[in-house]
Amino acid sequence: MTETTDSVVIERTFAAPRATVWDMWTTVEHFAGWYGPPGASIVITQMDVEVGGRRHFSMSMQGPDGNTMEMWFVGAYVEIVDGERLVYTEMMSDADGAENSPETRVIVELRDADEGTAMTMTHEGVPADSPGAMGWQMAMEKLDARLAG
Amino acid sequence: MAAVLDDEQQLTETFAALANTTRRAILARLADGPAAVNELAAPFELSLPAVSKHLKVLERAGLIVRGRQAQFRPCALDPAPLESVAEWAERYRPIWESSFDRLDDYLRTLQERTLEEQSKGTTDD
Repeated sequence: MTETTDSVVIERTFAAPRATVWDMWTTVEHFAGWYGPPGASIVITQMDVEVGGRRHFSMSMQGPDGNTMEMWFVGAYVEIVDGERLVYTEMMSDADGAENSPETRVIVELRDADEGTAMTMTHEGVPADSPGAMGWQMAMEKLDARLAG
Repeated sequence: MAAVLDDEQQLTETFAALANTTRRAILARLADGPAAVNELAAPFELSLPAVSKHLKVLERAGLIVRGRQAQFRPCALDPAPLESVAEWAERYRPIWESSFDRLDDYLRTLQERTLEEQSKGTTDD
């Protein structure tokens, strides 16, 4: 039985100054330059990096059958501490930005390291303070117990 | 029905069904055990038809199964699609890891470009 996890935490160190790594997350040009798995292309229609600002973009990938798969995402910036901490929400959506998945939350924390910048990225499935999250967490815990039993 | 949906479609259906506070609350209630429609409606200020609508969405996503008794049709949680949601984070990990590999390469390219520009700058002097 796999452990029920509803957040993914990744720690990485990048050989670049903190301000540069920050730009990678917060500027349209750079974010589109690396985000997504290999072969993905990112088109950003909106990226207002300010608290409450909206983000809306698409990710296109060639599927194994040769067809292009296009996915849209929408969300908002929740917390911005320049060069240190970025929190934003993300949901799957359509091209117009109508949400069609529960809200997830991405937290990026940067700090200076010997060889550049250390980053901790946390992607939460259902943020603890979102409406309905409590019921959801309870359901997940019960599910865990049920699957383990 | 669930069998003909591939994993990705199934997850999309599940997410769509879960993208609603009332429906998540209904599932949380059903995690305690099966319940009739009127029991499910009780904690909400919702009409029975409104609750029925939510139940239909949950049923289509394979998240609940409903009894055959015409009048009561008790609902029960089917945790199978939730399992794939529970594994959600693990599905996302490789996507993030490969993104960050790309970020590594991207930063290196930027650095080389900057160095090139700098050396060009010095020879121009």
